Amino acid sequence: MRKISVLTIGLLFSLLLFSTCKKDPGEGTVELIFEHEVNGQDLVLNEFLYTCEAGYEFSVIRLKYYISNFVLTRDDGTEYRLDKVHYRELGVDATRTLEMPDVPAGTYTSLSFIYGLDQETNVPGGLENTTTNINMEWPMPPGYHYMKFEGKYKIPGTGEVKAYNTHTGPTGGNQNFIQISLPLHGLEIDDNSWDITLVMDLNEWYQNPNTYDFEFFGPMIMENQNAQAALKANGADVFSVESMEVMELSIIC
Amino acid sequence: MAFVRCNEEEIPPGPVYDPTPLALDYPDNFPILDIPSDNPTTVEGVLLGRMLYYDPILHRDSAQACATCHLQALSFSSPGNIIPHINLGWSTAFLWNGKVQGSLEKIMTFESEEFFQTKLSRLERHPDYPGYFFKAFGSEDISYEHIGKALAQFERTLISGSSKYDLYLRPDLPVFLSDEEFLGFDIFFTEKGDCFHCHGGILFTDNLFHNNGLDATPGDGLFEITADPEDIGRYKTPTLRNIELTAPYMHDSRYQTLEEVIDFYSEGLHQSPTVDPLMKNAHQGGIHLTAQEKGYLIAFLKTLTDTVYVNKPELSSPFF
Ligand code: HEC
Ligand code: HEC
Repeated sequence: MRKISVLTIGLLFSLLLFSTCKKDPGEGTVELIFEHEVNGQDLVLNEFLYTCEAGYEFSVIRLKYYISNFVLTRDDGTEYRLDKVHYRELGVDATRTLEMPDVPAGTYTSLSFIYGLDQETNVPGGLENTTTNINMEWPMPPGYHYMKFEGKYKIPGTGEVKAYNTHTGPTGGNQNFIQISLPLHGLEIDDNSWDITLVMDLNEWYQNPNTYDFEFFGPMIMENQNAQAALKANGADVFSVESMEVMELSIIC
Repeated sequence: MAFVRCNEEEIPPGPVYDPTPLALDYPDNFPILDIPSDNPTTVEGVLLGRMLYYDPILHRDSAQACATCHLQALSFSSPGNIIPHINLGWSTAFLWNGKVQGSLEKIMTFESEEFFQTKLSRLERHPDYPGYFFKAFGSEDISYEHIGKALAQFERTLISGSSKYDLYLRPDLPVFLSDEEFLGFDIFFTEKGDCFHCHGGILFTDNLFHNNGLDATPGDGLFEITADPEDIGRYKTPTLRNIELTAPYMHDSRYQTLEEVIDFYSEGLHQSPTVDPLMKNAHQGGIHLTAQEKGYLIAFLKTLTDTVYVNKPELSSPFF
């Protein structure tokens, strides 16, 4: 008995050693952190603190969205891919970060991803059958909302309050997802771990290049391709890289 | 309530603890059902939960059983503001104002301990219950925790997924919606009626809390629990499954018929600071359907009636 225990412990020990050293030398981890702001201001929910280019004061009440198909591109053109769908919901901390594991060593010059879901994923059953995903259901063509961005705005002058529901997704044969690409400066992966903080400026959905007018498009835009196209064009620059930080050097065995 | 002898004979209380795992059967298009690892579903646990649900012994003075108000024939509700029990396994916040949040075990423990104020000693002294608790949990110890767990196991079997609409969704069955029902489906699941943003998905509820514009000065709702002014007037979105069977409607039972409910969504919405943005047409009083369209919507809602569920023998009283 005794002998066996000693043997087992020895075996466990070497397994432990082996697993810490198993990682290929030079690999690193990138953690993406998703934050939000409006017009460069901090995001405060439920208050009419922001004004969009079309001239309405607006509040933000809820925000939920998918981003997917993450790619890091190295200076030599080679790519690291993470075929994952990330769901982000304001106020739900577990959705704040996404880990990109085992990124090979090198200098990376861009991060790209799809805002929304690609055509293959955006079908019934394309995502895991969870309550969260089912709550993102998009009826026509059947699939999922890319984003639900909801709040209220005020009519200038009268102060009348109305709701806006910036719900994006495919319609009328247009996929409407957005290919986002962000340049990176100085992402050197080499046995280290990086935090990259991305910020979505919510007001960018409503400007540049199109002045998005809540009254003009009205409360129902899911099947309005003009509204979807305007949002798609505006959405290209909603994300920016706010900061990149090296977090720790992993132990080299 | 006296036990019927056949039950005692089927599972005689005895010293062997060997619960039989029970796999819950639900349609593929339902979300994955999370079952807590410390309360796996077993034949013995479900039977005990079912007995407790139908037995007034659970009540502090045996005045009523859960099933006195939660009647199977009415989707486990009865006239009044009683929330039906249907697909609650997927719910994580309970009661109209969200007073109990978390697992089904938690709400069931609450129902026994706080609502019914179960006298544990009466179950302990009962000739048979200690044996049934042993069979289910390996201990004759009768606690609110074990009562909650048994009730939760039974509740998880209250799965409704065989309405006409469910059968229509199955490609292998020749079940179709009528023209009227289909037009109603279209109103429900598009921005025309825009019911699906809250009552959507296969469960016909998002299991969240919203102010759907019932009043210009809404009731407290979730605010009562959270004290967050944004939660004023937010109530749990009820499932619309079996809605035909669960009149009257809303948390204060203000509407007697589905017609009244649809009139409300069509013309009767009220603005208030916390009215949900998803009530997209609150600023103009509602979605303004024609009489014909209202009829279509109601015809569709009636396709959510599951008569198999309300007659399923496994969900009925185990006592007769
Ligand atoms: C006297 C009638 C009555 C009896 C008896 C009764 N209930 Fe209820 N039940 C209600 C009412 C009314 C509500 C809604 C109350 C509210 O939300 O404030 C409700 C709500 C519930 C809910 C919440 C459902 C949801 O979707 O949020 C659960 C769970 C529940 N009851 C379980 C039980 C159990 C278990 C028992 C027996 C221990 C029981 N009830 C006995 C009247 C009753
Ligand atoms: C913003 C979310 C939301 C939308 C959109 C919505 N509802 Fe509701 N619905 C609720 C909530 C919340 C309740 C419970 C409100 C209460 O009792 O205070 C409710 C209650 C109901 C009830 C009564 C259920 C019961 O058991 O008492 C029916 C029927 C209903 N809704 C049908 C509809 C229909 C039909 C539509 C589309 C025309 C619709 N709802 C749109 C949130 C919504």
